Amino acid sequence: MSLRDALPTPRIHRDGLNPNAVLISLSIVMLAAFWTLDMVSMAPNRIVLGTGYSAPAAFGWPGALLATLLFCAISFLAWQPSQRHYQALLAAVVMLMALMPFGLIVSSFLLIEPELAQARLGLGAGYWVTLFILLLCLVELRLRLNLTRLWPTLLLSGIALVWWLCATLWLDSLALVQEFKARDQLFLRAVGQHMTLVGIAVSVSIVLGLALALLMRRYARLQKVAFTVLNFLQTIPSIALFGLLLAPLAWLAVNVPFLAKLGVSGIGTTPALIALIAYSLLPMVRNTYTALEEVSPVTLEAAKGMGMRASQRFWQVRLPLALPVLLEGVRITTVQAIGLTAVAALIGAGGLGTFIFQGLGQAAMDMVLLGALPILMLALVVDAGLGALAEALRPGGAR
Amino acid sequence: MIELAHVSKRFGSEIAVNDISLRIPKGKFCALVGTSGCGKSTTLRMINRLIAHSEGEIILDGASIETYDPVKLRRRIGYVIQHTGLFPHWSVARNIGLVPRLLKWPSIDVQARVEELMQLLGLPVEEFGHKYPHQLSGGQAQRVGVARALAANPDIMLMDEPFGALDPITREKLQDELAKLQARMHKTIVFVTHDMDEALKLADHLVVMRDGRIVQQGSPLALLKHPADPFVESLLGGLERGLKQAALTRVKDHMNSLGSALPAQSRIPADFSLRQALSMMLRDHSDRLTVVDQHDVPVGELSLRKIVKEAHLDKGNSRE
Amino acid sequence: MSNSLWRWPLLWISLLLISVVGMSAAEPLFHWVEPDARQVIYSRADFYVLLGRHLFVVGIAALVTISIGVSAGIAVTRKRGSDFLPLVGQVASLGQTFPPVAVLALAVPVLGFGTLPIIVALMLYGLLPIVRNTLTGLQEVDAELITAAHAMGMTPLQILRQVELPLAAPVILAGIRTSVTINIATAALGATVGASNLGDPIISGIVNGNMAYVVQGALTIALLALSVDSLFEVLQRQLRSRLSAS
Repeated sequence: MSLRDALPTPRIHRDGLNPNAVLISLSIVMLAAFWTLDMVSMAPNRIVLGTGYSAPAAFGWPGALLATLLFCAISFLAWQPSQRHYQALLAAVVMLMALMPFGLIVSSFLLIEPELAQARLGLGAGYWVTLFILLLCLVELRLRLNLTRLWPTLLLSGIALVWWLCATLWLDSLALVQEFKARDQLFLRAVGQHMTLVGIAVSVSIVLGLALALLMRRYARLQKVAFTVLNFLQTIPSIALFGLLLAPLAWLAVNVPFLAKLGVSGIGTTPALIALIAYSLLPMVRNTYTALEEVSPVTLEAAKGMGMRASQRFWQVRLPLALPVLLEGVRITTVQAIGLTAVAALIGAGGLGTFIFQGLGQAAMDMVLLGALPILMLALVVDAGLGALAEALRPGGAR
Repeated sequence: MIELAHVSKRFGSEIAVNDISLRIPKGKFCALVGTSGCGKSTTLRMINRLIAHSEGEIILDGASIETYDPVKLRRRIGYVIQHTGLFPHWSVARNIGLVPRLLKWPSIDVQARVEELMQLLGLPVEEFGHKYPHQLSGGQAQRVGVARALAANPDIMLMDEPFGALDPITREKLQDELAKLQARMHKTIVFVTHDMDEALKLADHLVVMRDGRIVQQGSPLALLKHPADPFVESLLGGLERGLKQAALTRVKDHMNSLGSALPAQSRIPADFSLRQALSMMLRDHSDRLTVVDQHDVPVGELSLRKIVKEAHLDKGNSRE
Repeated sequence: MSNSLWRWPLLWISLLLISVVGMSAAEPLFHWVEPDARQVIYSRADFYVLLGRHLFVVGIAALVTISIGVSAGIAVTRKRGSDFLPLVGQVASLGQTFPPVAVLALAVPVLGFGTLPIIVALMLYGLLPIVRNTLTGLQEVDAELITAAHAMGMTPLQILRQVELPLAAPVILAGIRTSVTINIATAALGATVGASNLGDPIISGIVNGNMAYVVQGALTIALLALSVDSLFEVLQRQLRSRLSAS
């Protein structure tokens, strides 16, 4: 008999007739947030703190009631969650997310008088909470419906398209949109810089990491030294490492003209890249090393027994089997680099972090959001993409 | 006494155990035998309520098990499993003393009981008491598993393929020790195994299961003599059945008194099995053996012709 | 045995204390680093004050995250909370994706400037490794052991406290270690949102182009991180040796 019989409870109720406690609690929290927290805020200009408005004031009673109805529908459907109900739930959640920008359009009509050209609409805590919980609902539904990662990605892209259309066509008064419009060229360039920095840092660290891991496998003594150094690097706060590189690089740029010609300087891209690569090496090397070491010795023994040469064993057995774990390392490294690059803005490397720190400096929160939100999305997209790739590369499909 | 009446277990739409009825009298050793997935482990786990049964009734000492508190019920029933389930973070002594401590025995009594059991199972306290499970061999670990199950002196023991993961020599040794223990302690034992030889060797009552149903039950000899269908027969070893039956029969039940003829050269102790006697005859090219007692004094004679002739007579049942 | 065990923590902690108390004694050295600057020792606040604030922020965040994270991990692995297990597991693994800067930046609009947003950001960021490791630790406990524990007549609470938690402890502790060590470094970012701690010298060094300040802040934080990390190492070793003592 399998161990499954021994477990006190099966992990997921397959018959699905028990109420889905997760969705019900999520929809109750959402309902509470919707009716108690401010949904939007309105400020007459950029610097003044906005006034908050609750749901009925922001969306009008019909809008508030429509949303409430949909929340209740989620609870109701989750009470007896059959396969069909789950599909209906998915539809309801997607619909709510697609309706959210229209709510904002309504509030811009209701709250902003036309003569106030400077007025801007901010998103309230309730709006963020609702959005976050809807995302959680989506994750839960993906798990219950056993969908691959592709589905939510497609759905979210569709929703994003709706949001983008609304934002460009009717949501001029939204603070985020205004921040974007004020510096759209800057924004696009920042995104480009951010991705370039991440791309270079990750590519270099993949090459270096692979080389280092291979060397470590050959020279056991190197392993200890390298891990000690890399571990130590991680304990230095990222801003400190960025800062520490300023002086020596500035000195080099002044004293070695050749390097200066190459673009090496104390502030900007060079120190940022060096620090990024330094940080990226640890996760990269660690994952590459364990990936290569973790390959089952029995399999390798069998390969040896079949008469494969060392190089054949490496290229045909060890590397393909290590690849998913290796990619996992690339994923972790990339996501970490996306976050660290934001910090690099402090030493003038550009990228989306610029908006965050400028915004913090000017106490302009919408500008902070303009930097932070795309970073968050970038991280999530890369995470999902590389995760799906690793899943697809695993022989025999997902675990 | 354990009684199962029309017990079934469903997992969703799948029926794991289908309408089985079974009586195990106090002090008897009952083996559930069958291929994997036949529902024997599920049956075992329903007895101590690790799995709730769907239909029917399981009665323990005159009351349905549902009237007992599951935790208290389990503390009264010993349980041994294949991979021992010893807690890796506890010493051997602490593992064995688990149930007595759960029952809030005074610590002096717990310690005394642990030492007694370790002595009984051939694990000297000084050597093994402070070891951890991962420092034991498979056989030693399973001895500790048995000691843990026996610790609170339960009347009933449930054993789920306890020797399944051991090498053949250790397995046989532990089987012998279990038989010896059972001869002394007379527990009511339900023992799940897929090894028919093990079941034949240990059990008073044999239950053959297939696809969640009981195919046949009875004493080992009864099953050997009259298998109900080809499945039971194949489980019992097909052509080797005769030898298995011989293995259950003692030499002393088939010997003649010493005749006037010259005694045979080969000697066999009286409590050996007929199977061993047959093997000795083949080895020594002889159709007669001299039977001796434990002091090597001849007490009788065994002849091949007599064994063959009596093979189907209901004479010898050494176990009962 | 115990001597060599405590060697590294003692070394790092004494170096940390020396650097905090005697930073000004190293003035000539920093003059050499930054010959042009008038002032080479960060003096807007004493280093032990900054260290205290840094520890306070990280400590509060750690206390909250450990209690919430571990209880959440336990709750969703129980029978009653098992409905929430898939979602929490997904979110816990997803959480690592949120860059701390972004979390910090998002916390400021809601909580304003100061110490509070950095504590919240550290809590959010530190919560997920703990939840994830608690889940892994508890789920990695051999199901057969739990069956055996049930069969011996242990109550669910006894199983949790005597079997599951002790066996999961090393993994949970590793999660706490990751969480706290990362947070010590991340807390320095608090200086950008007006929380005063060991990140202050770094930021003001970068802003004023004074490398000496940066070195001072970085050195102190690195020593703090190494001290705490080595203390965790001792803790983990002791736990491991208790689990599999010979």
